[in-house]
Amino acid sequence: MKKKMNLNHRSISRYVFLLPGFCFFSFAVLIPFLMGVNIAFTDWNGITKDYTYVFLDNFISIFKDTRVSAPIANSIKYAVLGTVGGNVLSLSLAMLINHKTGKLSKMARVIFFTPVCISAILTSFLWGFIYREVFPQLFGIKSLLGNRTWAIPAITAMGLWNGSGINMLIYFSGLKNIPTDLYEAAVVDGANVWQKFRKITLPLLTPSFTVCITLTLTAWFREFAMTLSATGGGPAGASRTISIYIFENLYEYYKAGYGQAVALLFALFLVVVGCSVSRFFRKREVEL
Amino acid sequence: MEAVIEIKRRKKIKVSTIVAAIITIVFVLIFLFPIVLAILTSFKTPLETAESILSLPKQINFNNYIEGMKRSNFFRAMINSCITTFPSVALIVICASMGGYTIARNSAVSRIVKSMDTVYLASLMIPFQILMIPLYKIYKTLQLQNSLFGMILVLTGTSIAYSTFLYVGFAKSIPKELEEAALIDGCGPYRAFIKIVFPLLKPITATVSALHIMWLWNDFNMALIILQKEEMRTLTVKQYYFFGEHTADYGMAFAASIVSMLPILLFFIAMQKHLVEGISAGAVKA
Repeated sequence: MKKKMNLNHRSISRYVFLLPGFCFFSFAVLIPFLMGVNIAFTDWNGITKDYTYVFLDNFISIFKDTRVSAPIANSIKYAVLGTVGGNVLSLSLAMLINHKTGKLSKMARVIFFTPVCISAILTSFLWGFIYREVFPQLFGIKSLLGNRTWAIPAITAMGLWNGSGINMLIYFSGLKNIPTDLYEAAVVDGANVWQKFRKITLPLLTPSFTVCITLTLTAWFREFAMTLSATGGGPAGASRTISIYIFENLYEYYKAGYGQAVALLFALFLVVVGCSVSRFFRKREVEL
Repeated sequence: MEAVIEIKRRKKIKVSTIVAAIITIVFVLIFLFPIVLAILTSFKTPLETAESILSLPKQINFNNYIEGMKRSNFFRAMINSCITTFPSVALIVICASMGGYTIARNSAVSRIVKSMDTVYLASLMIPFQILMIPLYKIYKTLQLQNSLFGMILVLTGTSIAYSTFLYVGFAKSIPKELEEAALIDGCGPYRAFIKIVFPLLKPITATVSALHIMWLWNDFNMALIILQKEEMRTLTVKQYYFFGEHTADYGMAFAASIVSMLPILLFFIAMQKHLVEGISAGAVKA
Protein backbone atom coordinates (compact mmCIF):
# COMPACT_ATOMS: atom_id res chain seq x y z
CA MET A 1 0.00 0.00 0.00
CA LYS A 2 2.69 2.40 0.99
CA LYS A 3 4.71 1.50 -2.05
CA LYS A 4 1.83 2.21 -4.36
CA MET A 5 1.31 5.65 -2.88
CA ASN A 6 4.99 6.35 -3.22
CA LEU A 7 4.82 5.41 -6.88
CA ASN A 8 1.88 7.70 -7.44
CA HIS A 9 3.75 10.45 -5.75
CA ARG A 10 6.66 9.83 -8.08
CA SER A 11 4.63 9.87 -11.25
CA ILE A 12 3.01 13.16 -10.24
CA SER A 13 6.44 14.60 -9.52
CA ARG A 14 7.41 14.07 -13.16
CA TYR A 15 4.99 16.77 -14.20
CA VAL A 16 5.58 19.00 -11.22
CA PHE A 17 9.23 19.23 -12.23
CA LEU A 18 8.16 20.42 -15.67
CA LEU A 19 5.67 22.98 -14.44
CA PRO A 20 7.74 26.05 -13.44
CA GLY A 21 9.73 26.06 -16.67
CA PHE A 22 6.61 25.55 -18.70
CA CYS A 23 4.89 28.51 -17.03
CA PHE A 24 7.67 30.90 -18.01
CA PHE A 25 7.90 29.35 -21.45
CA SER A 26 4.16 29.74 -22.04
CA PHE A 27 4.18 33.34 -20.90
CA ALA A 28 7.09 34.46 -23.05
CA VAL A 29 7.01 32.13 -26.05
CA LEU A 30 3.94 29.93 -26.45
CA ILE A 31 1.18 32.49 -25.76
CA PRO A 32 2.86 35.29 -27.75
CA PHE A 33 3.36 32.87 -30.61
CA LEU A 34 -0.31 31.90 -30.71
CA MET A 35 -1.36 35.51 -30.28
CA GLY A 36 0.96 36.42 -33.11
CA VAL A 37 -0.75 34.02 -35.45
CA ASN A 38 -4.02 35.71 -34.52
CA ILE A 39 -2.67 39.26 -35.03
CA ALA A 40 -1.42 38.35 -38.49
CA PHE A 41 -5.03 38.06 -39.65
CA THR A 42 -6.07 41.48 -38.30
CA ASP A 43 -5.47 45.12 -39.20
CA TRP A 44 -4.24 46.05 -35.70
CA ASN A 45 -2.18 49.26 -35.79
CA GLY A 46 -0.16 48.62 -32.63
CA ILE A 47 -1.74 51.41 -30.57
CA THR A 48 -5.53 51.22 -30.25
CA LYS A 49 -7.37 48.47 -28.43
CA ASP A 50 -9.75 47.48 -31.23
CA TYR A 51 -9.01 45.82 -34.52
CA THR A 52 -10.92 43.93 -37.17
CA TYR A 53 -10.19 40.65 -38.86
CA VAL A 54 -9.08 41.04 -42.45
CA PHE A 55 -8.42 37.34 -43.08
CA LEU A 56 -5.81 36.84 -45.77
CA ASP A 57 -5.54 40.51 -46.78
CA ASN A 58 -2.20 40.96 -45.00
CA PHE A 59 -0.69 37.98 -46.74
CA ILE A 60 -1.97 39.10 -50.12
CA SER A 61 -0.54 42.58 -49.65
CA ILE A 62 2.90 41.13 -48.91
CA PHE A 63 3.03 40.01 -52.50
CA LYS A 64 1.92 43.44 -53.71
CA ASP A 65 4.24 45.34 -51.36
CA THR A 66 7.08 47.00 -53.30
CA ARG A 67 8.93 47.91 -50.11
CA VAL A 68 9.37 44.33 -48.95
CA SER A 69 11.55 43.09 -51.82
CA ALA A 70 14.64 45.12 -50.87
CA PRO A 71 14.77 43.82 -47.26
CA ILE A 72 14.38 40.27 -48.54
CA ALA A 73 17.26 40.71 -50.98
CA ASN A 74 19.38 42.31 -48.24
CA SER A 75 18.69 39.51 -45.78
CA ILE A 76 19.71 36.97 -48.41
CA LYS A 77 22.93 38.91 -49.00
CA TYR A 78 23.65 38.88 -45.26
CA ALA A 79 22.87 35.17 -45.05
CA VAL A 80 25.18 34.21 -47.91
CA LEU A 81 28.07 36.49 -46.94
CA GLY A 82 27.77 35.75 -43.24
CA THR A 83 27.45 31.99 -43.61
CA VAL A 84 30.30 31.54 -46.09
CA GLY A 85 32.59 34.09 -44.44
CA GLY A 86 31.73 33.03 -40.91
CA ASN A 87 32.33 29.33 -41.46
CA VAL A 88 35.54 29.79 -43.45
CA LEU A 89 36.87 32.15 -40.79
CA SER A 90 35.88 30.12 -37.76
CA LEU A 91 37.14 26.86 -39.25
CA SER A 92 40.47 28.55 -40.06
CA LEU A 93 40.71 29.92 -36.54
CA ALA A 94 39.86 26.50 -35.10
CA MET A 95 42.59 24.86 -37.18
CA LEU A 96 45.07 27.50 -36.06
CA ILE A 97 44.38 26.98 -32.37
CA ASN A 98 44.36 23.22 -32.93
CA HIS A 99 47.94 23.47 -34.12
CA LYS A 100 50.07 22.79 -31.08
CA THR A 101 52.00 25.99 -30.66
CA GLY A 102 52.05 25.81 -26.89
CA LYS A 103 51.08 28.92 -24.99
CA LEU A 104 50.34 30.86 -28.15
CA SER A 105 47.42 28.69 -29.21
CA LYS A 106 45.92 28.82 -25.73
CA MET A 107 46.19 32.59 -25.63
CA ALA A 108 44.82 32.88 -29.17
CA ARG A 109 41.81 30.79 -28.21
CA VAL A 110 40.90 33.25 -25.46
CA ILE A 111 41.51 36.29 -27.67
CA PHE A 112 39.45 34.98 -30.59
CA PHE A 113 36.59 34.31 -28.19
CA THR A 114 36.75 37.63 -26.31
CA PRO A 115 34.67 39.67 -28.84
CA VAL A 116 31.77 37.26 -28.22
CA CYS A 117 31.12 38.89 -24.86
CA ILE A 118 30.91 42.36 -26.39
CA SER A 119 27.35 43.35 -27.27
CA ALA A 120 26.25 43.88 -30.86
CA ILE A 121 25.70 47.57 -30.12
CA LEU A 122 29.21 48.11 -28.83
CA THR A 123 30.62 46.14 -31.76
CA SER A 124 28.87 48.34 -34.25
CA PHE A 125 30.11 51.44 -32.43
CA LEU A 126 33.72 50.22 -32.33
CA TRP A 127 33.73 49.28 -35.99
CA GLY A 128 31.74 52.34 -36.98
CA PHE A 129 34.67 54.35 -35.60
CA ILE A 130 37.12 52.25 -37.61
CA TYR A 131 35.12 52.63 -40.82
CA ARG A 132 34.39 56.33 -40.34
CA GLU A 133 37.69 57.60 -38.96
CA VAL A 134 40.51 55.07 -39.23
CA PHE A 135 40.07 53.77 -42.79
CA PRO A 136 39.72 57.26 -44.32
CA GLN A 137 42.88 58.45 -42.51
CA LEU A 138 44.94 55.36 -43.29
CA PHE A 139 43.81 54.32 -46.75
CA GLY A 140 41.85 57.35 -47.89
CA ILE A 141 38.59 55.45 -48.46
CA LYS A 142 35.29 56.98 -47.47
CA SER A 143 33.20 55.24 -44.83
CA LEU A 144 32.00 51.92 -46.16
CA LEU A 145 28.86 52.23 -44.04
CA GLY A 146 27.68 55.16 -46.14
CA ASN A 147 28.15 53.27 -49.37
CA ARG A 148 25.17 51.49 -50.88
CA THR A 149 27.11 48.48 -52.16
CA TRP A 150 29.59 48.14 -49.31
CA ALA A 151 27.34 48.69 -46.29
CA ILE A 152 26.28 45.04 -46.03
CA PRO A 153 29.77 43.51 -46.45
CA ALA A 154 31.12 46.05 -43.94
CA ILE A 155 28.50 45.14 -41.34
CA THR A 156 29.06 41.44 -42.03
CA ALA A 157 32.77 41.93 -41.32
CA MET A 158 32.06 43.38 -37.88
CA GLY A 159 29.63 40.57 -37.21
CA LEU A 160 32.29 38.01 -38.03
CA TRP A 161 34.68 39.66 -35.59
CA ASN A 162 31.94 39.66 -32.96
CA GLY A 163 30.62 36.13 -33.39
CA SER A 164 33.22 33.79 -34.88
CA GLY A 165 34.46 32.70 -31.47
CA ILE A 166 31.46 30.46 -30.78
CA ASN A 167 31.70 28.55 -34.06
CA MET A 168 35.44 28.38 -33.68
CA LEU A 169 34.96 26.45 -30.42
CA ILE A 170 32.47 24.08 -32.05
CA TYR A 171 34.87 23.34 -34.91
CA PHE A 172 37.74 23.09 -32.45
CA SER A 173 36.05 20.37 -30.41
CA GLY A 174 35.16 18.61 -33.68
CA LEU A 175 38.81 18.68 -34.73
CA LYS A 176 39.93 17.30 -31.38
CA ASN A 177 37.57 14.35 -31.84
CA ILE A 178 39.28 13.23 -35.05
CA PRO A 179 41.67 10.40 -34.13
CA THR A 180 45.30 11.31 -34.93
CA ASP A 181 46.17 7.83 -36.23
CA LEU A 182 44.06 8.58 -39.31
CA TYR A 183 46.42 11.42 -40.20
CA GLU A 184 49.45 9.28 -39.42
CA ALA A 185 48.18 6.54 -41.72
CA ALA A 186 47.58 9.13 -44.45
CA VAL A 187 51.13 10.48 -44.08
CA VAL A 188 52.54 6.97 -44.40
CA ASP A 189 50.50 6.57 -47.60
CA GLY A 190 52.06 9.77 -48.90
CA ALA A 191 49.12 12.16 -48.62
CA ASN A 192 49.88 15.87 -48.77
CA VAL A 193 48.38 18.61 -46.60
CA TRP A 194 45.48 19.37 -48.96
CA GLN A 195 44.59 15.68 -49.38
CA LYS A 196 44.59 15.19 -45.62
CA PHE A 197 42.27 18.17 -45.21
CA ARG A 198 39.96 17.18 -48.06
CA LYS A 199 39.73 13.43 -47.36
CA ILE A 200 39.96 13.26 -43.55
CA THR A 201 39.24 16.58 -41.87
CA LEU A 202 36.27 17.73 -43.94
CA PRO A 203 34.24 14.48 -43.94
CA LEU A 204 34.83 13.85 -40.23
CA LEU A 205 33.89 17.41 -39.34
CA THR A 206 30.41 17.11 -40.88
CA PRO A 207 28.62 17.05 -37.47
CA SER A 208 30.22 20.41 -36.66
CA PHE A 209 29.27 21.70 -40.11
CA THR A 210 25.66 20.71 -39.50
CA VAL A 211 25.51 22.76 -36.32
CA CYS A 212 27.58 25.74 -37.42
CA ILE A 213 26.07 26.22 -40.87
CA THR A 214 22.49 25.90 -39.60
CA LEU A 215 23.24 28.32 -36.75
CA THR A 216 25.02 30.95 -38.84
CA LEU A 217 22.55 30.79 -41.71
CA THR A 218 19.47 31.32 -39.55
CA ALA A 219 21.25 33.89 -37.39
CA TRP A 220 22.29 36.02 -40.37
CA PHE A 221 18.83 35.81 -41.90
CA ARG A 222 17.57 37.33 -38.65
CA GLU A 223 20.23 40.09 -38.53
CA PHE A 224 18.82 43.00 -36.53
CA ALA A 225 20.65 44.75 -33.70
CA MET A 226 24.03 45.39 -35.28
CA THR A 227 22.58 46.78 -38.51
CA LEU A 228 20.05 48.88 -36.67
CA SER A 229 22.74 50.59 -34.62
CA ALA A 230 25.40 50.77 -37.36
CA THR A 231 23.34 52.24 -40.19
CA GLY A 232 19.70 52.14 -39.10
CA GLY A 233 19.05 50.20 -42.29
CA GLY A 234 20.55 52.92 -44.47
CA PRO A 235 21.91 54.45 -46.62
CA ALA A 236 18.47 54.77 -48.22
CA GLY A 237 17.41 51.29 -47.12
CA ALA A 238 20.49 49.63 -48.61
CA SER A 239 21.08 47.53 -45.50
CA ARG A 240 17.50 47.20 -44.19
CA THR A 241 16.79 43.56 -43.26
CA ILE A 242 13.50 41.70 -42.87
CA SER A 243 13.79 41.95 -39.09
CA ILE A 244 14.23 45.71 -39.25
CA TYR A 245 11.30 45.93 -41.64
CA ILE A 246 9.07 44.04 -39.19
CA PHE A 247 10.24 46.31 -36.38
CA GLU A 248 9.49 49.41 -38.47
CA ASN A 249 6.01 48.19 -39.27
CA LEU A 250 5.28 48.21 -35.56
CA TYR A 251 6.99 51.44 -34.52
CA GLU A 252 7.04 53.62 -37.62
CA TYR A 253 4.28 52.63 -40.01
CA TYR A 254 1.78 51.52 -37.34
CA LYS A 255 0.89 48.39 -39.27
CA ALA A 256 1.39 45.76 -36.58
CA GLY A 257 -1.02 43.32 -38.21
CA TYR A 258 0.79 43.49 -41.49
CA GLY A 259 4.21 43.30 -39.82
CA GLN A 260 3.10 40.20 -37.97
CA ALA A 261 2.00 38.56 -41.23
CA VAL A 262 5.48 39.22 -42.63
CA ALA A 263 6.98 37.79 -39.44
CA LEU A 264 4.85 34.67 -39.67
CA LEU A 265 5.86 33.92 -43.26
CA PHE A 266 9.45 34.71 -42.33
CA ALA A 267 9.35 32.27 -39.40
CA LEU A 268 7.90 29.57 -41.62
CA PHE A 269 10.64 30.17 -44.15
CA LEU A 270 13.35 30.00 -41.45
CA VAL A 271 12.03 26.73 -40.04
CA VAL A 272 11.97 25.19 -43.52
CA VAL A 273 15.46 26.45 -44.35
CA GLY A 274 16.84 25.43 -40.96
CA CYS A 275 15.38 21.93 -41.14
CA SER A 276 16.41 21.26 -44.73
CA VAL A 277 19.95 22.54 -44.28
CA SER A 278 20.49 20.48 -41.16
CA ARG A 279 18.95 17.42 -42.84
CA PHE A 280 21.21 17.93 -45.87
CA PHE A 281 24.32 17.79 -43.68
CA ARG A 282 23.02 15.12 -41.28
CA LYS A 283 22.74 12.71 -44.22
CA ARG A 284 26.37 13.27 -45.05
CA GLU A 285 27.69 12.66 -41.54
CA VAL A 286 30.19 9.82 -41.39
CA GLU A 287 30.16 7.36 -38.52
CA LEU A 288 33.57 6.39 -37.24
CA MET B 1 66.07 4.72 -43.70
CA GLU B 2 63.48 4.79 -40.94
CA ALA B 3 65.50 7.36 -39.07
CA VAL B 4 65.80 9.58 -42.12
CA ILE B 5 62.05 9.63 -42.63
CA GLU B 6 61.59 10.36 -38.96
CA ILE B 7 63.94 13.34 -39.10
CA LYS B 8 62.33 14.63 -42.29
CA ARG B 9 58.92 14.48 -40.70
CA ARG B 10 60.03 16.32 -37.64
CA LYS B 11 61.52 19.09 -39.73
CA LYS B 12 58.33 19.38 -41.74
CA ILE B 13 56.23 19.66 -38.60
CA LYS B 14 58.48 22.41 -37.35
CA VAL B 15 58.09 24.47 -40.52
CA SER B 16 54.32 24.11 -40.44
CA THR B 17 54.28 25.06 -36.78
CA ILE B 18 56.17 28.26 -37.49
CA VAL B 19 53.81 29.14 -40.35
CA ALA B 20 50.81 28.42 -38.12
CA ALA B 21 52.29 30.55 -35.34
CA ILE B 22 52.82 33.49 -37.69
CA ILE B 23 49.29 33.31 -39.08
CA THR B 24 47.92 32.98 -35.55
CA ILE B 25 49.76 36.12 -34.48
CA VAL B 26 48.40 38.04 -37.48
CA PHE B 27 44.85 37.02 -36.61
CA VAL B 28 45.39 37.82 -32.93
CA LEU B 29 46.50 41.33 -33.90
CA ILE B 30 43.46 41.81 -36.15
CA PHE B 31 41.11 40.63 -33.39
CA LEU B 32 42.75 42.83 -30.78
CA PHE B 33 42.96 45.94 -32.95
CA PRO B 34 39.45 47.36 -32.28
CA ILE B 35 39.77 46.84 -28.53
CA VAL B 36 43.25 48.34 -28.30
CA LEU B 37 42.15 51.23 -30.47
CA ALA B 38 39.22 51.89 -28.14
CA ILE B 39 41.50 51.91 -25.10
CA LEU B 40 44.01 54.25 -26.76
CA THR B 41 41.33 56.65 -27.96
CA SER B 42 39.70 56.75 -24.54
CA PHE B 43 42.81 58.44 -23.13
CA LYS B 44 43.18 61.00 -25.90
CA THR B 45 41.72 64.49 -26.12
CA PRO B 46 39.47 65.21 -29.13
CA LEU B 47 42.29 67.32 -30.62
CA GLU B 48 44.78 64.46 -30.40
CA THR B 49 42.31 62.08 -32.03
CA ALA B 50 41.66 64.53 -34.83
CA GLU B 51 45.38 64.98 -35.50
CA SER B 52 46.25 61.33 -35.70
CA ILE B 53 44.01 58.31 -35.14
CA LEU B 54 46.65 55.74 -34.32
CA SER B 55 49.12 57.78 -32.26
CA LEU B 56 49.62 57.04 -28.59
CA PRO B 57 48.08 59.49 -26.12
CA LYS B 58 50.59 62.14 -25.04
CA GLN B 59 49.71 61.70 -21.41
CA ILE B 60 47.39 59.43 -19.50
CA ASN B 61 44.41 61.55 -18.54
CA PHE B 62 41.24 60.27 -17.05
CA ASN B 63 39.13 63.27 -18.06
CA ASN B 64 37.27 61.25 -20.67
CA TYR B 65 36.38 58.67 -18.06
CA ILE B 66 35.13 61.20 -15.55
CA GLU B 67 33.15 63.08 -18.19
CA GLY B 68 31.85 59.86 -19.75
CA MET B 69 30.57 58.45 -16.49
CA LYS B 70 28.86 61.73 -15.70
CA ARG B 71 27.12 62.16 -19.02
CA SER B 72 26.27 58.60 -19.94
CA ASN B 73 24.64 57.64 -16.64
CA PHE B 74 25.83 54.11 -17.40
CA PHE B 75 25.99 53.36 -13.69
CA ARG B 76 22.21 53.35 -13.39
CA ALA B 77 21.96 51.24 -16.55
CA MET B 78 24.47 48.78 -15.16
CA ILE B 79 22.38 48.35 -12.02
CA ASN B 80 19.34 47.73 -14.24
CA SER B 81 21.29 45.14 -16.19
CA CYS B 82 22.27 43.42 -12.94
CA ILE B 83 18.68 43.47 -11.67
CA THR B 84 17.43 41.81 -14.84
CA THR B 85 20.31 39.43 -15.56
CA PHE B 86 21.04 37.69 -12.28
CA PRO B 87 17.52 36.82 -11.05
CA SER B 88 16.71 35.60 -14.57
CA VAL B 89 19.73 33.32 -14.61
CA ALA B 90 18.80 31.96 -11.17
CA LEU B 91 15.25 31.24 -12.36
CA ILE B 92 16.56 29.66 -15.55
CA VAL B 93 18.84 27.33 -13.59
CA ILE B 94 16.06 26.29 -11.19
CA CYS B 95 13.40 25.70 -13.86
CA ALA B 96 15.62 24.20 -16.53
CA SER B 97 17.44 21.80 -14.19
CA MET B 98 14.13 20.36 -12.97
CA GLY B 99 12.64 20.25 -16.45
CA GLY B 100 15.75 18.83 -18.05
CA TYR B 101 16.04 16.17 -15.36
CA THR B 102 12.48 14.94 -15.72
CA ILE B 103 12.66 14.97 -19.54
CA ALA B 104 15.89 12.97 -19.46
CA ARG B 105 14.40 10.38 -17.07
CA ASN B 106 10.77 10.13 -18.14
CA SER B 107 10.45 10.89 -21.84
CA ALA B 108 10.44 7.16 -22.57
CA VAL B 109 7.67 6.53 -20.03
CA SER B 110 5.34 9.48 -20.34
CA ARG B 111 3.95 10.89 -23.54
CA ILE B 112 3.33 14.32 -22.03
CA VAL B 113 6.95 14.66 -20.97
CA LYS B 114 8.11 13.51 -24.36
CA SER B 115 5.93 15.99 -26.23
CA MET B 116 7.21 18.78 -23.97
CA ASP B 117 10.70 17.96 -25.16
CA THR B 118 9.56 18.26 -28.77
CA VAL B 119 7.81 21.58 -28.14
CA TYR B 120 10.97 23.02 -26.57
CA LEU B 121 13.12 21.86 -29.46
CA ALA B 122 10.72 23.20 -32.08
CA SER B 123 10.57 26.56 -30.32
CA LEU B 124 14.33 26.97 -30.74
CA MET B 125 13.77 27.56 -34.44
CA ILE B 126 11.25 30.39 -34.04
CA PRO B 127 12.85 33.75 -34.78
CA PHE B 128 12.46 36.41 -32.14
CA GLN B 129 10.75 38.74 -34.62
CA ILE B 130 7.55 36.73 -34.51
CA LEU B 131 7.25 37.29 -30.75
CA MET B 132 8.13 40.97 -30.91
CA ILE B 133 4.72 42.45 -31.76
CA PRO B 134 2.62 40.11 -29.53
CA LEU B 135 4.97 40.60 -26.57
CA TYR B 136 4.64 44.34 -27.03
CA LYS B 137 0.87 43.91 -26.97
CA ILE B 138 0.86 41.68 -23.88
CA TYR B 139 3.12 44.05 -22.01
CA LYS B 140 0.98 46.99 -22.96
CA THR B 141 -2.19 45.29 -21.72
CA LEU B 142 -0.61 44.08 -18.47
CA GLN B 143 1.14 47.44 -18.02
CA LEU B 144 4.45 45.68 -17.58
CA GLN B 145 6.24 48.05 -19.93
CA ASN B 146 9.23 49.74 -18.34
CA SER B 147 9.22 47.23 -15.52
CA LEU B 148 12.37 45.31 -14.72
CA PHE B 149 10.21 42.52 -13.28
CA GLY B 150 8.52 42.16 -16.66
CA MET B 151 11.92 42.05 -18.27
CA ILE B 152 12.95 39.18 -15.96
CA LEU B 153 9.83 37.24 -16.96
CA VAL B 154 10.51 37.52 -20.66
CA LEU B 155 14.26 36.88 -20.41
CA THR B 156 13.63 33.73 -18.37
CA GLY B 157 10.82 32.51 -20.58
CA THR B 158 12.70 32.86 -23.83
CA SER B 159 15.77 31.11 -22.40
CA ILE B 160 13.98 28.10 -20.91
CA ALA B 161 13.90 25.99 -24.07
CA TYR B 162 17.60 26.09 -24.84
CA SER B 163 18.80 25.73 -21.26
CA THR B 164 16.45 22.79 -20.67
CA PHE B 165 17.84 21.22 -23.80
CA LEU B 166 21.37 21.54 -22.40
CA TYR B 167 20.28 19.99 -19.09
CA VAL B 168 18.56 17.06 -20.83
CA GLY B 169 21.78 16.13 -22.62
CA PHE B 170 23.77 16.21 -19.40
CA ALA B 171 21.18 14.53 -17.15
CA LYS B 172 21.07 11.53 -19.47
CA SER B 173 24.74 10.91 -18.78
CA ILE B 174 24.51 10.80 -14.96
CA PRO B 175 23.80 7.40 -13.39
CA LYS B 176 20.31 6.60 -12.09
CA GLU B 177 21.43 4.29 -9.26
CA LEU B 178 22.03 6.96 -6.62
CA GLU B 179 18.59 8.53 -6.80
CA GLU B 180 16.92 5.12 -7.19
CA ALA B 181 18.58 3.99 -3.97
CA ALA B 182 17.44 7.12 -2.19
CA LEU B 183 13.88 6.72 -3.48
CA ILE B 184 13.73 3.10 -2.32
CA ASP B 185 14.96 4.19 1.11
CA GLY B 186 11.88 6.38 1.32
CA CYS B 187 13.27 9.72 0.22
CA GLY B 188 10.69 11.84 -1.62
CA PRO B 189 11.29 12.66 -5.28
CA TYR B 190 11.73 16.39 -4.56
CA ARG B 191 14.22 15.87 -1.80
CA ALA B 192 16.07 13.35 -3.93
CA PHE B 193 16.34 15.98 -6.65
CA ILE B 194 17.61 18.70 -4.34
CA LYS B 195 19.98 16.53 -2.31
CA ILE B 196 21.27 14.08 -4.93
CA VAL B 197 20.56 15.04 -8.52
CA PHE B 198 21.12 18.79 -8.45
CA PRO B 199 24.66 18.51 -7.02
CA LEU B 200 25.51 16.02 -9.78
CA LEU B 201 24.33 18.54 -12.38
CA LYS B 202 26.86 21.10 -11.19
CA PRO B 203 29.10 21.15 -14.31
CA ILE B 204 26.21 21.88 -16.65
CA THR B 205 24.79 24.40 -14.18
CA ALA B 206 28.07 26.29 -14.38
CA THR B 207 27.93 26.27 -18.17
CA VAL B 208 24.27 27.27 -18.40
CA SER B 209 24.72 30.15 -15.99
CA ALA B 210 27.92 31.37 -17.62
CA LEU B 211 26.38 31.34 -21.10
CA HIS B 212 23.17 33.00 -20.00
CA ILE B 213 24.82 35.69 -17.92
CA MET B 214 26.71 36.62 -21.07
CA TRP B 215 23.68 36.46 -23.37
CA LEU B 216 21.18 38.16 -21.11
CA TRP B 217 23.64 40.90 -20.20
CA ASN B 218 24.03 41.61 -23.91
CA ASP B 219 20.36 41.23 -24.78
CA PHE B 220 19.14 44.06 -26.96
CA ASN B 221 16.00 42.96 -28.81
CA MET B 222 13.73 42.48 -25.83
CA ALA B 223 15.02 45.41 -23.83
CA LEU B 224 14.48 47.68 -26.82
CA ILE B 225 10.80 46.78 -26.99
CA ILE B 226 9.94 46.56 -23.31
CA LEU B 227 12.13 49.15 -21.60
CA GLN B 228 11.36 52.47 -23.26
CA LYS B 229 11.71 54.82 -20.31
CA GLU B 230 15.07 56.47 -19.86
CA GLU B 231 15.73 55.38 -16.27
CA MET B 232 14.66 51.77 -16.86
CA ARG B 233 16.99 51.09 -19.77
CA THR B 234 19.55 48.34 -19.49
CA LEU B 235 23.12 48.78 -20.59
CA THR B 236 22.78 47.72 -24.22
CA VAL B 237 19.77 49.95 -24.90
CA LYS B 238 21.50 52.79 -23.09
CA GLN B 239 24.56 52.30 -25.25
CA TYR B 240 22.36 52.30 -28.35
CA TYR B 241 20.88 55.72 -27.59
CA PHE B 242 24.06 57.16 -26.08
CA PHE B 243 26.21 56.34 -29.10
CA GLY B 244 23.49 57.68 -31.35
CA GLU B 245 23.76 61.05 -29.60
CA HIS B 246 27.54 61.30 -29.11
CA THR B 247 29.07 60.24 -32.39
CA ALA B 248 31.55 63.11 -32.43
CA ASP B 249 33.26 62.88 -29.05
CA TYR B 250 34.93 59.51 -29.48
CA GLY B 251 37.30 59.71 -26.52
CA MET B 252 34.48 60.25 -24.08
CA ALA B 253 32.21 57.64 -25.70
CA PHE B 254 34.97 55.03 -25.71
CA ALA B 255 35.82 55.74 -22.08
CA ALA B 256 32.18 55.19 -21.16
CA SER B 257 31.97 52.04 -23.24
CA ILE B 258 35.12 50.56 -21.74
CA VAL B 259 33.72 51.07 -18.25
CA SER B 260 30.49 49.39 -19.35
CA MET B 261 32.45 46.53 -20.91
CA LEU B 262 34.54 45.85 -17.79
CA PRO B 263 32.08 43.76 -15.75
CA ILE B 264 31.36 41.35 -18.58
CA LEU B 265 35.04 41.09 -19.54
CA LEU B 266 36.06 40.35 -15.96
CA PHE B 267 33.27 37.80 -15.76
CA PHE B 268 34.48 36.24 -19.00
CA ILE B 269 38.03 35.92 -17.72
CA ALA B 270 36.76 34.27 -14.54
CA MET B 271 34.32 31.89 -16.24
CA GLN B 272 36.28 31.32 -19.44
CA LYS B 273 36.77 27.62 -18.77
CA HIS B 274 33.05 26.90 -18.33
CA LEU B 275 32.07 28.92 -21.38
CA VAL B 276 34.60 27.22 -23.61
CA GLU B 277 33.80 23.73 -22.37
CA GLY B 278 30.07 24.28 -22.39
CA ILE B 279 29.90 25.51 -25.94
CA SER B 280 32.15 22.75 -27.23
CA ALA B 281 30.25 20.03 -25.40
CA GLY B 282 26.67 21.20 -25.71
CA ALA B 283 26.52 22.43 -29.25
CA VAL B 284 27.92 19.41 -31.03
CA LYS B 285 25.45 17.12 -29.33
CA ALA B 286 22.68 19.25 -30.82
